[in-house]
Parts: sequence; C-alpha cells; structure tokens
Amino acid sequence: MSAIIEIQNLSKHYSLGSASKSTLREVLSSLNRNNDVFKALDDVSFNVERGQSVGIIGSNGAGKSTLLKVLSKITKPTSGRAIIDGRVTSLLEVGTGFHPELTGRENIFLNGSILGMSKQEIRLKFDAIVAFSGVEKFLDTPVKHYSSGMYVRLAFAVAAHLDSEILIVDEVLAVGDAEFQKKCLGMMKNSEQSGRTVLFVSHSFAAIRQLCTKGVWLDQGQLKYEGEINKCIDAYSKSFKSTKIADSNENDEVEIGDIFAINSKKQSLKSFSNSEEIVVIVNLKINSKDAPDTVQLRFVDSSGQVVFLSNHSDRKAILLKQDWNCLTMTIPAYLLNEGIYSLYMGIGYHTLRWVVRELKVFDLEIHFSPMNLDFASLSRRPGVFAPMLEWTREEDVKIEADYD
Amino acid sequence: MSKTIIDASSDSISFKELAHYKELFWMLALRDFKIRYAQTFLGILWAFIQPAATILILYMVFGRFAQVDTGQIHHVVFTAVGLLPWTYFSYVMQNSGNSIIAAQAMVKKVYFPRIIIPVSKALVGLIDFGINAIIVIFLMLLLKQEVSTNIWALPLFIVIGIFVSLGIGIWLSALTIRFRDFQYVVPFMVQLGLYITPTAYPSEFALKQLPEWASYLYFLNPMVGVVEGFRWSILDCTAPHGLSFLSFGVAALVFSSSLFYFRKIDGKIADIV
Repeated sequence: MSAIIEIQNLSKHYSLGSASKSTLREVLSSLNRNNDVFKALDDVSFNVERGQSVGIIGSNGAGKSTLLKVLSKITKPTSGRAIIDGRVTSLLEVGTGFHPELTGRENIFLNGSILGMSKQEIRLKFDAIVAFSGVEKFLDTPVKHYSSGMYVRLAFAVAAHLDSEILIVDEVLAVGDAEFQKKCLGMMKNSEQSGRTVLFVSHSFAAIRQLCTKGVWLDQGQLKYEGEINKCIDAYSKSFKSTKIADSNENDEVEIGDIFAINSKKQSLKSFSNSEEIVVIVNLKINSKDAPDTVQLRFVDSSGQVVFLSNHSDRKAILLKQDWNCLTMTIPAYLLNEGIYSLYMGIGYHTLRWVVRELKVFDLEIHFSPMNLDFASLSRRPGVFAPMLEWTREEDVKIEADYD
Repeated sequence: MSKTIIDASSDSISFKELAHYKELFWMLALRDFKIRYAQTFLGILWAFIQPAATILILYMVFGRFAQVDTGQIHHVVFTAVGLLPWTYFSYVMQNSGNSIIAAQAMVKKVYFPRIIIPVSKALVGLIDFGINAIIVIFLMLLLKQEVSTNIWALPLFIVIGIFVSLGIGIWLSALTIRFRDFQYVVPFMVQLGLYITPTAYPSEFALKQLPEWASYLYFLNPMVGVVEGFRWSILDCTAPHGLSFLSFGVAALVFSSSLFYFRKIDGKIADIV
C-alpha cells in the first residue's frame, strides 16, 4: 500500500504577540523588536497509508488541532511539507457556515458548498441527507428555531454525505448526546471499511480505540510516538505520572511525597477502564507533633463540578504518625463515568484549619472499556456517575409494596 | 487526481480552483441577499426605497438648491444614472472590508479560496445594481428621456466598474484583517467619495473651479471615468474627459495590485484574523 499522506518535517511557529498587532501603530512600534516564537508543531514527520485510520492523541496544546489545520490547508506550515494524494474533507466543526436566518434546506446547500460539494452532488444526496438528519418536517423553517440537537443532526448529516478519500475529524464527537456520538462513530467506521482514510483527534480513548488502527502521539508540538493504537495510548497514559507536584509543597508541617493511582495489577497509570478498581496512594510526611486529622481528596470533573470528596477518616479513625505515612483510598469499579477528573488534596485539622488547601495532585482519565460493550453504550452516559447496578428478574412473584 | 503539496510557499490564485468553488460564490451571495431583509416588514421593498431616497435627496440639494446645470437632461435622470455605478461601488467597498472578519468562524474551520469572500460581496452588489437599473429605466420612461446611441459602450464601463469595485474590495478585506483601523476609514471614504465623484453634477462643473494640477488629482479617483462613461453611453452627455484614461489606469492598477497583495496574505489569514 502506498502512503496517501506524507508528512515531512512539518513545523508551524507562531510569533507570540504578533496576532494582537492589529492596528497600524502597533505594527510600526514593534518593527525592530524580536518576538518570542511558539512552536505549535515542531519537525513532525509520519506517513498515513491508504485506508488507514489514524488517531491523534496528546494533551491540550500539543499541536493536534494545528496539525489538522495545516493538513486541511486552513493555515500554512512555517517549514516542511505534506504531500496529500486525494481529496480531503475536514470536519473541524459541525455546521460551519450555518446561518440562523436561513432555512434547513438553504443551509444544506450552503454548508455543502462550503465543504466543497457541487450543487449537483448536493441535489443527488439531498434526500439521503434529510433522512439521516430526521428534520424533514422543519426543512423550510429557519434553523434559528431548531433545537440544538436538531441543528447538530442536520449539520452532521451534510458532512456525513461527503465523498472524499481522506476525512479529517477534530473532536466533533464532543458535541451531541450519546445517540448522536454513536451515529458519528458508525459513520466513520463505515467510511473506513469503504477504503477511506481517516485522521481523528479525540480525547475519548474509547472512541479512538474503536475506530483507529494507528496512533500518533503529539507532545508540545513534537511527535512522541507513532504506531499501533493500543501501544500508543499506553505510552501516552504512562507519561501522565511524571507530573511533579508543584512547589506549593513549602510547608513546615507536612511534606508531600508521591501521589499516584494504580490498578489491580499494580500498574501506575493515569488512564483507567471503568471496569477496574482504582487505588489512589498518598505519601505524606508529618513534621509537627500535633498531626493533622483530615486528609481529603476531592474529585472534580472537567466542567468544574465536584463529583465527590472523601476524607481519610470517614469510616474509621486513622491516626497519622509523625514521619512518613502511606495512605490508600480505593475507588470501586463501575462507579465513575467516562471523562477526565482532576484530584485535589486538602490536609487540615477538623476541616477548620487547612495546612494544605486544594492542592491539585493529578488528572486521571476514565474510559469505558470495550469489554462491557454488549449492551451498554460505549461512551459517556448522562449523569455524574455511571454505576453498573445489579438488576434481577424475580421468578413468578409479584412483590407488593409493604406500607405498614 | 494530482497530489496536493502543502508547504510554506504561497500559492498563486488558481482559477481552476476558483472554478471548482463557483457555486460557493452564488451560495454566499444568495445568503447575503436573503438575510439582508429578513424579519423586516417591507422586505425587498427596501432595496427600492433606499436608492430612490438617495436620488431624491441629491436632486433636492444639487438640482434645486444649488441649481447645477445638466443641460437638456432632467437632473433626476442625470443623478440616477450617475448613482448607478457609484452605489454599486460603495456597496462593495462597505461590505467587503469587513467580510473576512465577519466570516472568521468559517475561515478558521474550513478551507476554501479566501478570495471568494470579498468577491461574493461584489456579486451581491450586482443584485442591487439590477434594482437600481430598474429605477433608472422607470425614470427615463417617466421623463421621456431617450437612450443614447452610445449604449453599445455601456458593457465596457460596467466591466471597468466591476473591476474597480473588486479591486478596492479585495484590498480593503485584506487590509482590514491586519489593521482594524480600516473599519473606521471606510465609512469616511464612502462619504467623501460621493462628493468627489461626479454623481450629481457634471465633472466640468468641478474642473472649472480647480487649478490644472488638481484636475489630475480629481481623475485619480477611478470612479470618475466610470461615472462619466455611464452617462455618456446612456444619456449622451459629454464624452468622458481625456483624463478619464487616468481613471481607467488607476482602476487597472488597483485591481491587479489587489490580487497581488491578497495572494501574499492568503496563507496567513486564519492565523491573524
């Protein structure tokens, strides 16, 4: 098989501050000043084979979106090049160019032509697009009156019907409900079977695992790993634990050692399946004679909502001794929803005086493991938690409520 | 299909690629036209009321108060014909300047030749141009004004007018991305332009009052030649002044330089907008 995309030493640099120079005076006054350079992409090279699905992973600001933008010709690289052998469709956003005052029908044509379809092509696929979107009744209503769900469905329906050899998708799955996400994944999976090449950026490892065969991990603009998808995700997950706890540790009373999470196989990870029990390990050194009586861990989801908090003496009093202490907290399997959680730690006396307050310890990611996919949805469920609770069916018995 | 190479060099503006996106021109123009009068009570009538009101005001000021002499031709017709290319020009100037900034959400998320955005504004302007032309025909019939035998030359002046407007529009759209200052300059340019272009008075009227060196300056305004040409080919007014070629020269320069500058900035638009 031949490479459909060849990326050779691709770099994209932004000079910091230049973007804000939008008035004449600013340009004139900064002519002889050198600006700092931010390397959004730094000498990245890899190939994509025809028909391959590639997942691009990395933390925020790693250059994933920049790479997609360069490949979709939205922005030019600073140096290096990419050779693309086929028609590219990029879906960096659902519904680009939709206008609220136009009707659904008009927006289908507008959006289609923005994405590079000809009128003829759109007309041919019009019925299929409408059927896929399920908004037949509202075709002649301005889209500003649509619910956000309808809006997204219509927009995605247009994109789903593009014919191109290469599909570039950026986190579009982040919008819409689980049903819609499934539809998107299904559509991309189909396109993969039809020999289409897919480049896919997502924070959802479950989605990437399902869809992609190859992974590319970017870190601070550089290519860190390229290879089989599961190995790539593992390599990326392992990198999480190297985060150092900040210097906020300047404290006479306590000294904070390693804090990390392990699975049942004692592997220290930052990405866990929801099917495994997670043990968080906290190492602390108490220097004062009067030891703090509360060690608190707080789980906060990506929207900033506290999911739960837990104190080390919730169930039984555990006294901390003056020296190193190793505490463990166990999170049961099948409890947390898919997502990224930040752990914050607090150490204090009777929750009145805090020695350490809201110290961010690390992030961890929960993904729905493909093992329990048979009936459950593969991605995030609505709700804060996603417990798998026990259900039974009682034989031949009707249990009456007993109100006495 | 040939391979696409993405690198740091700037692409020339490819007409083949523009031809592929030709429907996008229409879609964007159509969108602008459809949403312009959305949720207004009078709707499309506004497209007639606005130019009619401008003609009336200029007639009052120049025809009645200032008593500008337009010879055999009724001042209303004289002004209406003068405004025909000017209104188009000012529409394109006002709307293309901001066009790329207004479309930035799109520009940052999908690729298509960026030049389509300002050019589609020139296309929408043609709809208004048509409406204005209807008003002119109506006035000519009403005031029993005969059409000149020079009418064969009109398409030529229309083409020049379109190229000037495109040139200025492309320049402004590219400059406004970098220098938002132009957002404030454009309304002023439009206001000034109405007076330094012979829309409601014949150019001799201005030239009489100007020293010779200033008449060269006067014709540096590319719209002077176009407006004069319109009136000559429709109403048989005096043929365009010899200096009009200065106007046409400026027009050609503005258009070709605009493409050159746009090409230079094209690859950076998504980064700086």
